[in-house]
Amino acid sequence: MSTVDDRPVAEADEPEEPTNRPEASYRLREWLSRPYVRHILIIAAVITLLVVPAAWLVIFFMNMTGAPASSIMSEIEKTMFVFTIVSAPLMAITLAILAYSLLGWGRVSGDEPPMQESPAIRSNPIAITLWIGTTSVLAAFLVVWGVTELATITAYSYGSTPANQQPNATKRIDINVTGQQWLWTFAYPDQNDITAPVLVVPIDTPLYFNVTSLDVVHNFWVVELGIKIDANPGAITNTGVTPNKLGTFNIRCAELCGLHHAYMQTQINVVTQEEFDSWVREMGGSKTV
Amino acid sequence: MSDTAVIHEHGHVPQPVQHGKPGGILRHTSIVTGLVSGVVLAVIAYLVGGMLMPQGTLDADGIQVGINAQIAATYIAWVVGFMAGIGAFAGPIRWAMGHDLTHDDAEYMAGKGQGKWRYWKYTTDHKVVGFQYLVISMVLLGLGGFLAMLVRTELGATWTEVFDPNFYNSIIGTHGIVMIIAMIIVVTGPLGNFVVPIMIGARDMAFPRLNALSFWLLFAAVPPLVTNLMLGGMRDGWTVYQPLGAQAPVGMIGYQITIITFAFSTGIASVNLITTIVTMRARGMTWNRVPIFVIGIIASSIMGLVWFPMFQYSQVFALSDRVIATSFYIPQMGGSVWLYENLFWLLGHPEVYVIVVPGTAALMELMVVFLRKPLFSYKVAVAGFAGIVGISSVVWVHHMYMTGWAPAAGYPFMLSTELISIPFGFLVMVMLGTIWRGKVWTRLPMMAVFAVLWNKVIGGITGVYLSDVPVDQYMHGSMFVVAHFHFMLMGAGLFAAMGAISYWFPKMTGRMLDERIGSIGFWTAFAGFQLTFGSMFVAGLQGMPRRVLQFDDAFNVSNWLSTIGAYTIGIGMLVFLYAIVTSWRSSVLAAANPWGAKTLEWQTETPVPLENFPVLPVVTSDPYGYGVPDPYDEIEEQLTDEDATVGAR
Ligand SMILES: [Cu+2]
Repeated sequence: MSTVDDRPVAEADEPEEPTNRPEASYRLREWLSRPYVRHILIIAAVITLLVVPAAWLVIFFMNMTGAPASSIMSEIEKTMFVFTIVSAPLMAITLAILAYSLLGWGRVSGDEPPMQESPAIRSNPIAITLWIGTTSVLAAFLVVWGVTELATITAYSYGSTPANQQPNATKRIDINVTGQQWLWTFAYPDQNDITAPVLVVPIDTPLYFNVTSLDVVHNFWVVELGIKIDANPGAITNTGVTPNKLGTFNIRCAELCGLHHAYMQTQINVVTQEEFDSWVREMGGSKTV
Repeated sequence: MSDTAVIHEHGHVPQPVQHGKPGGILRHTSIVTGLVSGVVLAVIAYLVGGMLMPQGTLDADGIQVGINAQIAATYIAWVVGFMAGIGAFAGPIRWAMGHDLTHDDAEYMAGKGQGKWRYWKYTTDHKVVGFQYLVISMVLLGLGGFLAMLVRTELGATWTEVFDPNFYNSIIGTHGIVMIIAMIIVVTGPLGNFVVPIMIGARDMAFPRLNALSFWLLFAAVPPLVTNLMLGGMRDGWTVYQPLGAQAPVGMIGYQITIITFAFSTGIASVNLITTIVTMRARGMTWNRVPIFVIGIIASSIMGLVWFPMFQYSQVFALSDRVIATSFYIPQMGGSVWLYENLFWLLGHPEVYVIVVPGTAALMELMVVFLRKPLFSYKVAVAGFAGIVGISSVVWVHHMYMTGWAPAAGYPFMLSTELISIPFGFLVMVMLGTIWRGKVWTRLPMMAVFAVLWNKVIGGITGVYLSDVPVDQYMHGSMFVVAHFHFMLMGAGLFAAMGAISYWFPKMTGRMLDERIGSIGFWTAFAGFQLTFGSMFVAGLQGMPRRVLQFDDAFNVSNWLSTIGAYTIGIGMLVFLYAIVTSWRSSVLAAANPWGAKTLEWQTETPVPLENFPVLPVVTSDPYGYGVPDPYDEIEEQLTDEDATVGAR
């Protein structure tokens, strides 16, 4: 570089701003009339349209085993969908430029460096401002959306919405969840302290989990209900959910916990209130007698 | 002046006295003496340890508690013995004896007159160290890749357990940490050492002996990591969360010694690179003329230097819990599992950028050459790297959203994590702006730019999901996370490294890379990569947890596809490796500047002579003076002139 090129940098780096350039609207129209600009915009539009079915596909995969079975899971899926749609245009522009670069602006092959040079575009204040502005606005949107949703699901879990104001909250059920290598135990302190290896809960009733571990870190993941919290030794963590769909769903350990981590899974049966009551009688009866 | 110092007239400074032959004891040391000394000292430590350690106290599994200290002593003795044997302590000892290093000593240590043997010695020449790093990173990538094949074999064979679960857990952990180490060094090691000093017009690194020290420390760190598999394995993933890690057999100590040693190596290498870049640039290479690859290397080094100690402390505490009965991480004795998680992720997240940043910067450096266009908005690129360095220090808790440590911390850390997408976006914009309207010279290094940008789009968008606490509540600990970080570390990291290595291959080896075979390997691996991790996203969305060896039938199809894809990657990588090895051994020599590039390393001859330049260059511009005036601007200029007849000029 020392000998090859001695053009001053400053000249190319900061193009002089003519004071009497054509009007902005004219320059925009001229820019849009360039063939490559139109082609890239068309490719980007097509990619954007393709992302919408992809966003549905994401939700389809998440719902394959019965989700959403709680309003928390519904909120999570909504967030996934919105984030996909929101990021689609940026993704589309990026891929469109990549595609057009290979298809439209020409390629050269060969062993020797090409003689023909490309336009020396060192900067473009408008493009930079647009890009930084757009990504900043998108990031701000993600933050605002995320904070709002986090507050919402925290309220649905256990947070700012008191248990007695949650939907159908006359009878919140506390459940003590204990992880150990390699099984889960669920205790119902308000139901005569019955314990079970499978969660049985009534539909539309707020559940409140006190989660801990006897040995190493586990993670209590109720898949289709969209809740997850570590089970730590020496500490109690909390989460909660109100199931709104009848059925049998998966509980898995989502933190590597040793030899049989893969098998540390069980089920949650969401049943009607009557079925739950009879289950409690059955369990409690067999226990107290 | 006092009588302890004298001012000499210029040109009459007395030179240090040569004691013995140049190089002194280093004439007799090499990797052979290192290995012998390391093994002998390790055996002695093992035997003496066996006699000294208290016996009789058994842990819950009926294992002698004392064996932990014995194995730790053995590994430490290996590292110290190896370093002593290869001659790493010769310098300080020489000083202690009052002998200064002469110019002849320095030249001997730089490898003068030792032929090929210099690659097996404590050699200070940055080009030798670069080659050593290149080879060791390829060995580590091969090992990690082989372990990945084992993992995928287990997961693809959905009908049976191929491996014992303990062994399976050991190979996922070893695969993880081997790949992390390999990816941290794969660009910064070979190219940071070989290319950067030449690129900035220096004769060597600022601290040549520290350069040799950093490489051989890394070398010494590898055997403990590999032997862990023979001592029961590190069964706990590369994160080794405590207290699970405390349950693991003594193989875990191998992991801990490796991390502690590797952290020294990385810290030393980072200091060296930063000092070199800050102080040894050629005359005229002002900060706005520094090639962007050098900026990427310094950014990555800063993150490594600042955050690697956290990882090191996390393992020092874990080792002391195991060996000397402290209880940093034992909740029953007042310790905290969250302490470990915080210390671990304080490095654990910046490390992702330590890996991705140099590769991205390398692609920026090479794409201008293949597009014959200046880098678009150098300043925004620098701002992007700076932003990543800054924000990466305050995002680590997004790995701990679901730990219950501090649920309210989800708010600020979601903010910081989503903010880091802005400087990351700067980098993408710079690359797109450079591609904009360029005629692509379709050589392999340039094609890597397209592959990496595609992977970055996928990795970036899935990262946006994961940065969000509610979504992470579903995704955390699932295969979705695994697929995401492979898109970043492998998709954006390793494929960029492959492009960068093929770009600088002619300068390093003096041969052109066989691009026909290399491209077949590259694109085979790329296609396999999309299949492997594309279908792994699906498994994660369906709710498959990570680090399992058996799972619901619902996940079968995506796992079969992933395994087919993984084998395809394996084949592609072997083909690429074949291209590297055969090209390296080829007899056809490459030109000094086959790409017509403008950075300094291409202006010196190939092979690069000792001390790099006959006369140090003086830099008069940045290295991006490619291109012709924009034809559209000329049209606009004419229009403006027509308007000017009306307007006031
Ligand atoms: Cu578990």
